[in-house]
Amino acid sequence: MRRDIGCNRMDHAVSRRSFLGASAAGSAVVGGLLTAAQAEQVRSGQKRILQIFLQGGVSQFESWDPKPGTRLGGPFRSISTAVPGMEICELLPHTAQRMDKLSIVRSINLKTNSHRVGQLRMEKGRIAGEYPYVGSVGAKYFTPPDARLPGFIHISTRGITDNTNAFLPAQHAQLKLEGVKAPSNLVRSDKLSEEAAKRRDEFRRRLSERFSASRPGQKAYTEAFESSFTLADRLISQKSLFEAEPSAKDVERYGSHPFGLRCILARELLMNGGTCVKVTHHGYDTHAENFNFHLEQLGEFDHTFCMLLDDLADAGMLESTLVLVHSEFGRTPKINQRYGRDHWGASCSMAMGGCGIVPGAIVGATNKEGTAVSEREVASGHLFHTYFSALGLDTASDHDIPGKSIPIGDPAAAPIEELLA
Amino acid sequence: MTNPEESNGIGGRPEAPPLPEMPLDVTKSHVAAEFKHEVALTTCRIDPTGRYAFAGAEDFNVYRWEIDGAAESKTIFKGHNSWVRCVDFSPNGELLFTAGYDDHIGIWNTADAEPKPIAMIEAHKGWVRWVRVSPDGKLLASCGNDNLIKVWNLPDGTLLREFAGHERYPYAVVFHPDGKRLASFDLMGVLREWDLESGKQLRSLEAKFMWGFDQKFRADMGGARDMCFSDDGKTLAVAGLTEVTNAFAGVHKPMILLVDWDKAEPQHKFKVDSYKGMAWGVRFHPDGFVMGVGAPQSGNKGAVWFWKPGEEKAFHTVTLTHCGRGLDLTPDCRRFAVAQFDGSLRVYQMTDKAS
Amino acid sequence: MSPSRTSAVHGLPLPALVVLLACAVAAADGPPPPPLPEDFVVSQVSPPLHPQIDELISTASPGFADHAADVCPDAEFIRRVYLDLAGTIPSAEVTRAFLADATPSALKRQQLINRLLASPQHARRMQYVFDEMLMERRPGTTIPVAEWQNWLRQAFLDNKPWNQLVQELLAADGVDKEKRPAAKFYLDRNFDVDLITRDVGRVFLGVDLECAQCHDHPSIDGYLQRHYYGITAFLKRSYLFTDPKSKQKVLGEKAEGDVKFTSVFTQEEGATPPRLLNLPAIVDPEGTEKQYEVKPDGKNRGVPKYSRRLQLAGAMISADNIDFRRNIVNRLWAMMMGRGLVEPLDLRHADNPPSHPKVLNLLADEFLSHDYDVRWLLRELALSEAYQRGSRTQTKSDAAATDYASALLKSLSAEQLAWSLMEASGVTTQTLAAQQAALLKSDPKNGPAKKDDPLWQDDVLHKALKPHVDQFALQFAHQGGQKTGFESTANQALFLINGSLVQGWLTPANNNLTDRLRKLDDNAAVAEELYVSLLNRIPTGDEIAEVTTYLDAVSERDPAIQEIVWAVLASAEFRFNH
Repeated sequence: MRRDIGCNRMDHAVSRRSFLGASAAGSAVVGGLLTAAQAEQVRSGQKRILQIFLQGGVSQFESWDPKPGTRLGGPFRSISTAVPGMEICELLPHTAQRMDKLSIVRSINLKTNSHRVGQLRMEKGRIAGEYPYVGSVGAKYFTPPDARLPGFIHISTRGITDNTNAFLPAQHAQLKLEGVKAPSNLVRSDKLSEEAAKRRDEFRRRLSERFSASRPGQKAYTEAFESSFTLADRLISQKSLFEAEPSAKDVERYGSHPFGLRCILARELLMNGGTCVKVTHHGYDTHAENFNFHLEQLGEFDHTFCMLLDDLADAGMLESTLVLVHSEFGRTPKINQRYGRDHWGASCSMAMGGCGIVPGAIVGATNKEGTAVSEREVASGHLFHTYFSALGLDTASDHDIPGKSIPIGDPAAAPIEELLA
Repeated sequence: MTNPEESNGIGGRPEAPPLPEMPLDVTKSHVAAEFKHEVALTTCRIDPTGRYAFAGAEDFNVYRWEIDGAAESKTIFKGHNSWVRCVDFSPNGELLFTAGYDDHIGIWNTADAEPKPIAMIEAHKGWVRWVRVSPDGKLLASCGNDNLIKVWNLPDGTLLREFAGHERYPYAVVFHPDGKRLASFDLMGVLREWDLESGKQLRSLEAKFMWGFDQKFRADMGGARDMCFSDDGKTLAVAGLTEVTNAFAGVHKPMILLVDWDKAEPQHKFKVDSYKGMAWGVRFHPDGFVMGVGAPQSGNKGAVWFWKPGEEKAFHTVTLTHCGRGLDLTPDCRRFAVAQFDGSLRVYQMTDKAS
Repeated sequence: MSPSRTSAVHGLPLPALVVLLACAVAAADGPPPPPLPEDFVVSQVSPPLHPQIDELISTASPGFADHAADVCPDAEFIRRVYLDLAGTIPSAEVTRAFLADATPSALKRQQLINRLLASPQHARRMQYVFDEMLMERRPGTTIPVAEWQNWLRQAFLDNKPWNQLVQELLAADGVDKEKRPAAKFYLDRNFDVDLITRDVGRVFLGVDLECAQCHDHPSIDGYLQRHYYGITAFLKRSYLFTDPKSKQKVLGEKAEGDVKFTSVFTQEEGATPPRLLNLPAIVDPEGTEKQYEVKPDGKNRGVPKYSRRLQLAGAMISADNIDFRRNIVNRLWAMMMGRGLVEPLDLRHADNPPSHPKVLNLLADEFLSHDYDVRWLLRELALSEAYQRGSRTQTKSDAAATDYASALLKSLSAEQLAWSLMEASGVTTQTLAAQQAALLKSDPKNGPAKKDDPLWQDDVLHKALKPHVDQFALQFAHQGGQKTGFESTANQALFLINGSLVQGWLTPANNNLTDRLRKLDDNAAVAEELYVSLLNRIPTGDEIAEVTTYLDAVSERDPAIQEIVWAVLASAEFRFNH
């Protein structure tokens, strides 16, 4: 059970954007064939973020920072990858072949073993306080004016309803989808014609604007409310995307398990107007049977993730899409009595690649047994700086919001220059 | 029991001393010997001659002690590149077979002073979870993370057969005492019977109560942590878990399942209701009771349980000093060994102490 | 303490109040104003609280008087106070009566406050608020929801003092049938000691000690590991026990066991007896270790001679425990004002002090001297200018930080939204009518009297309409601790736009709102009925014109009416408490 923290809202005019009403249901991109609309999107240079959240704390020993044959390293071996000299755990054989598109950071110290705190730190790039999540920051700066979808979509099932936008406008908050289920209530009643729906909504808007104008000192709430209707309209206009069944070919490639289906949807969203898409993969919190469960979970992750990466690469979208794979912390070097590993934020890893990231690099290291960072220790702040620098922002500068001076990245941190292309 | 060190001052004796013939009384079980290792143990076995106790450990090695010897009798069997959670012996005890998580099966001389593997067979793609030697010593069965059951010729180690059919990892495979069939049990609680001659699957049984799917964490939990037939081949025992409520925290109850092999039906389900944890070992005792060893979810109270078939509750429980991870009986079935998480291998005698 | 009797009307002495009333009576042409409600309490003990609050608020910020808003108009007041104290908007009928009532505004507001606080709807509203505060909408496991909610609601019908309520929750063992619902706090957390430690800190003391489980909080100086374990020490000896006869889960307790802890950062070890934050430790009396009334075994839950868990209840409500009363007054303030004096509500520490520390202290002290009387405090808050100010303001003032110069917008809770929509659209009235008709049939003897009993009405309405309320909870509420703030998701908007539940309420039938509206020929009358029913106010000339334009422009009148009703109830003015 988690709690929401009340958040700050900023004074900010929500400008409603027109959106393409035409259907733009994407089809699978296999072999690099994009629809005209998609190709245009790629050419336009729109940047995106694909964020895979391995919920629960993936073990760095069993993934990006293996310590085979050491006292606490566990039973798995490491395998070589497409990058000479870089080895990862044998549980990621497909990903290993694609490490020439990804880089690893092995020296993250989050200074927490709490799921909630670790998650917030990884999302906000800050130790504490109200700041927007990665997806909301991405939505703010990279959602095109004519975007057909909300700028930040999170495909997950459980978890908190986070207010991810903090002081950024409400339209950049995450839209959380319940797995691959289409949002409910996308379909209008037969009794309500398109025309009637439009005019009653105009009336509603006019009333809301008048009310908002009458309380000029308290715009945050009213704009958040209005923004939810704008987002709803966009979803209604894109309902075919959500209602489409994945092709048999896609299901075969990605897998029929929930993570597979979610990645198919993520791809569709990214290729059809999505800006930031986050997919959560459950679960990695392996206090018992760490090794058996990582076999299962990474087995699911490995192949599916690679299909998604391949499809983005084939579509020419990898150069413009930042790809992140991370957890909220790692797992203890000590193996407990249940053959499990417990929470460990002191030395954990993540992988990233795509837009603006040098591929095939390893940043930082842990000591021989993986009990501490030995080189190039970084905090979530450094990672956050790196993501958005790679996407082209000056993360030392302030957010583009009137009336407040809040740096985009934590002033106590800086981008990991070695990772920036 | 006399202290071997006292009797010959060397430590380690070539032959077991004659034990006083106390009557068997499991309720009087007491520690007769203790061997320490620094790393958590994964399994233990006693060789067919009753001379040695073996244990696998999380440092990739297998260790051997003389049961009636001293701590100095500790001998390292080094050769695997990952954990060994299952070993077996040739019927005369001369050969040791080790199933490694490094995809290999090791073959060793049981009694070597400085053991090195005679052979390492690359047996499976993925962990070799279990090995068993056939009653006549001519075949070796293994199962692994490639979902396959494999049967090997001994002594040459060539592949005789492969049995495919398990959809998820088979955790254990054993020979029926008649030597003609195999039984295997997988993560999902599916028990399959295989015919060695024809190469076909015979029967199957779903013991779904020994499996759970955790909806929250989206993972399957289950599998045979130990398995064995009764000597008469009429009953199969499987050790594992039941009533999974939180897979990732290890919240479930230990279970020993007895299967009526003729009918291929569950016959008895021994569950320890008040115990949160896993059953890691099971043995039939010729006196008619069944033994299981367990590890709690948290804390030190490992246990060895003694049940009589037909009774719901264990008639005796021995509390261990730490999680129990393996169990085996001496050939005379008067003593048993347990492997513990704290690295100790303890030998219990199921009689009153000699006065 | 002033010896003269003062009334609750802005500190006027009673004789002056009588004079005021007499003048009002003499001046009015119409019938005399209704007599004061019976429970109208004249404060004898001390000066009323609300003027003191207002004094502190106005002196806390320089230049406050320059930008302080006036008290809001009657229409805004009735809607606001109904929502806050009764959990729903008022009916059109009640609204009209209040607006038309010639009683001086201050007095009629006071009467309204008293009426609402005495109503069954108030107890229901408090049930919702405190259920969320205490159980955080977690899925139930043990105590049935209905039993728990009834127990809570009864507590508020009885105006049970807060300290008594908390004592019952924290001392509960679930054994006694009548008291069993109080055990929900423990039992439905599966008596997970870590979870309860944390929630006790958050819910009753206003501190979130989660991180302090493993180490002194890295960034909050005031949260120490021993604070966390000091609470755990009260709880650690207790355990869930399933009674073999009744099969019910109850709590047992051992008479031994101590709490030690190790910092995962420093590896330092510590130990602590039961202790609430920085209050003195409560050491077990000598000779009580391992002493039992009932020894624990397979058949019996342990009952020790000395119970640490009972000590927790006593220590929590003790007059020495300032944090306990500061926490509750902060939460009640937040409920009424839209923001706690400490925000977030469970994160008070040295670097997150209250915005108005003197106000917080005043509320806490007075709450103690009034014996933790929740209704008293809510009345005082409702009477304050801080509460009654208008929310239209030029200067920026929002839930992020406020000096209370104007009222804050508040989000409607899922329950407030559901009940307000049902009231406005006519569902509530129709349902009540149907229930009354059924009662008259089934109980012709008592029915006629009973059908007008507010308690009976509240009961049957809630039973009948609970499924709708639950649907709204699913859409608009979130699991987790009580908090102020507003979030609005696309899914919620879709629920309002296309959801069949709300669309169904717009279908004209049985004299519901859309039915009444379509029977009106005059567009101005339509606009008036619309605004009074939905927004509890008279529409402006522009607004009437707007409605007229819309209705004239659409060829089919019935759908047009449904459309404008939808537009109003989906608009910002309905969505917020303002």
